[in-house]
Amino acid sequence: MKKVLSKKWKLGLIALLVLGSAQVVSAAPMQMHVMEGFLPWQWALFWWAVALPFWIIGIRQVGAILREQPEKRIYLGLAGGFIFVLSALKIPSVTGSSSHPTGTGIGTMLFGPFVVGILGTVALIFQALLVAHGGISTLGANAMSMAIGGPLIAYYLVWRPLKNSPFYVRVFMTAFVADLATYLITTTQLALAFPDPFSGFVGSWLKFAGIFAVTQIPLAIGEGILSVLIMNALQSNTEQELVQA
Amino acid sequence: MNVIDRYAYMNRLAKVNPAGKAVIALVTIGLCLVLNRPIVGVLAVGWMFGLAVWLAGIPAKVFRRVLLAEAGFLLLTSVGVAVSIATRDHGVGWRLPVGRFWLVVTPESLEQMVRLMTRALGGASALNFLAFTTPLVDLVGLLRRMWLPEALIDVMVIMYRFIFVLLETLNKMVKAQSSRLGYAAGYRRGMQAAGTAGAQLFFSAMRRSQRLETALASRGFDGELRVLKSRHEVMPWFGIILVGLVGSLFVGFGLTAESLRMLRFFG
Repeated sequence: MKKVLSKKWKLGLIALLVLGSAQVVSAAPMQMHVMEGFLPWQWALFWWAVALPFWIIGIRQVGAILREQPEKRIYLGLAGGFIFVLSALKIPSVTGSSSHPTGTGIGTMLFGPFVVGILGTVALIFQALLVAHGGISTLGANAMSMAIGGPLIAYYLVWRPLKNSPFYVRVFMTAFVADLATYLITTTQLALAFPDPFSGFVGSWLKFAGIFAVTQIPLAIGEGILSVLIMNALQSNTEQELVQA
Repeated sequence: MNVIDRYAYMNRLAKVNPAGKAVIALVTIGLCLVLNRPIVGVLAVGWMFGLAVWLAGIPAKVFRRVLLAEAGFLLLTSVGVAVSIATRDHGVGWRLPVGRFWLVVTPESLEQMVRLMTRALGGASALNFLAFTTPLVDLVGLLRRMWLPEALIDVMVIMYRFIFVLLETLNKMVKAQSSRLGYAAGYRRGMQAAGTAGAQLFFSAMRRSQRLETALASRGFDGELRVLKSRHEVMPWFGIILVGLVGSLFVGFGLTAESLRMLRFFG
């Protein structure tokens, strides 16, 4: 019972897989949120539990800001709105224009990682309840990758250490790493939940990383460039708005 | 902004108490996850489609289109579950050598893929039902009654309000840029235009927040936004729907467990 396929079939299949994944990912409305129901309930609960301490720290920080300056409520609401809407800004990309999480990278630089953790989570809740992207059971996992993990890693491994490097390098790397970290954390979450029967966690990780690499890596580079342009425009503008930010 | 949000305000269940709709959606998601059988997912899709189309009056075409888009995305991701990578030939399933590795598809992995896709589609259809029938303001109001801190809820309300204002601002800017060939002249120019739009959006957001702060301060704002509670109707047929839904999902689950046992007994 030998079922090894012939060479012609093989090439065709691989081409189909690569082209197909590029097509579907770029046609997909949001970047890579884990869909509702995709994670087994044990893993969904696990990621809620992991995200919880970060949410508590973030809510405490937001609460402290609001106790001192109640009027900041408006500011935070608009910062959150900005983060949400920025992801709707179309950027030209190799695989066609697509949505992306620029907001979290820029938000981290402007507002700090824990505040972005909260605002990003609210943005995810809105995406789930408003346009049915992402999900409720998978909210913990998505928040962990997009709102918490990406910004935290980018802030502490890039934004702070690169204090003395040229501004554009610092901004590009922060946005790039925030994006890449989000993508790799999601990959890890999927690989943990669905290990490969033959090659285990590692094989599964490589599979999911491969599926999403087609769009995510060009996107991360695009995000980096876009963030530099936005931050430059912000810097060269001396309006009083920046004093508050 | 989005076809789903438009129907959230227009459908026949828009004025109905959000708690009932949320309970139906959450129970469905929970059962799809915990029972984890293909038939449960399929039944859930059927229920949610029926409720959205017949009870809420969402056009079947629209609901189907959203669900199909999700299924397409799902199909791609679950390919990673169906296809396994092995470092040597294990001699099982359909296999395909690629360099030093083997891509393997086994009946078990296909079964897992089907299970995953039906479970996720069941959950996604429940989320679609909630998003299609309930305005977000109502859901935020629902969150207010839970343990969430009041300050966070206020931030959410302001955020929701300004998403649409900012989105309109962004659309206008992008339209203005496009009409001056902002995005038509290659990658570099397109990026430049997007960068300018993003920065201007930030200024626009900050300017608005300052104006709003000033306006509120001049009216004696002390940190709390008080608004009248909206009134809701009772969800029609709520008890019957819930019992029927939960019952049929459990019956579907029971049938599969039963049939599995019988198959094992005879085979």
